[in-house]
Amino acid sequence: MSRSLKKGPYVDEKLYGKVQRLNAQNKRLPIKTWARACTIVPEFVGHIFQVHNGRHFTDVFCTEDMVGHKLGEFSPTRMFRGHTQKKDRVKLRH
Amino acid sequence: MPRIAGVDIPEKKKIRYCLRYIHGIGPKAADDILAEAGISPEKRSSELTDQEVSQIASIIDAGYIIEGALRRQVQQHIQRLKDIRSYRGERHRRGLPVRGQRTRCNARTRKGKRKTVAGKKGVRGH
Repeated sequence: MSRSLKKGPYVDEKLYGKVQRLNAQNKRLPIKTWARACTIVPEFVGHIFQVHNGRHFTDVFCTEDMVGHKLGEFSPTRMFRGHTQKKDRVKLRH
Repeated sequence: MPRIAGVDIPEKKKIRYCLRYIHGIGPKAADDILAEAGISPEKRSSELTDQEVSQIASIIDAGYIIEGALRRQVQQHIQRLKDIRSYRGERHRRGLPVRGQRTRCNARTRKGKRKTVAGKKGVRGH
């Protein structure tokens, strides 16, 4: 179910404040953040966020197309390297 | 035989159902169109006058995205998700379910026909 319109988009306040401060100074520094649930708002466009995925920080460069998505959508939390090969599995067994 | 919106040639059925042969028009849209045109939904499509056919066509043209244009629009939306490298775009690229469904079993619609892996089940390490 989608979020109530009454509340508006969820934007992490601390992060938003930081972006506003950087915008005021016209600076573009990468921002480390754990706020994966934070919606990308137009003010974020052009900034680089380092979004935590539970292990390390993924660089996310915000473009106009990303507005309305959440930061976490661009920092995958799972890594799939493919299934084990048959040969490898035989070794594991014995 | 009447011809609405390019290639669609519905048959001797009631127009209410014929309109649904057009990609992008479902039960709701079909009834809405006929109400706007003031045509009885129970009428067979073969009984339509040329004028009624063109009336339906103009209503569809004005307010509905159908067929190729609709397919293109959907593709564009998927392409956008892929281009911004979002999670949903990644799922589309890999051909896995996009909306958080389980993939341990089932999910065959997205994953396609079963690819059997030898020795996955049954006798395992005695």
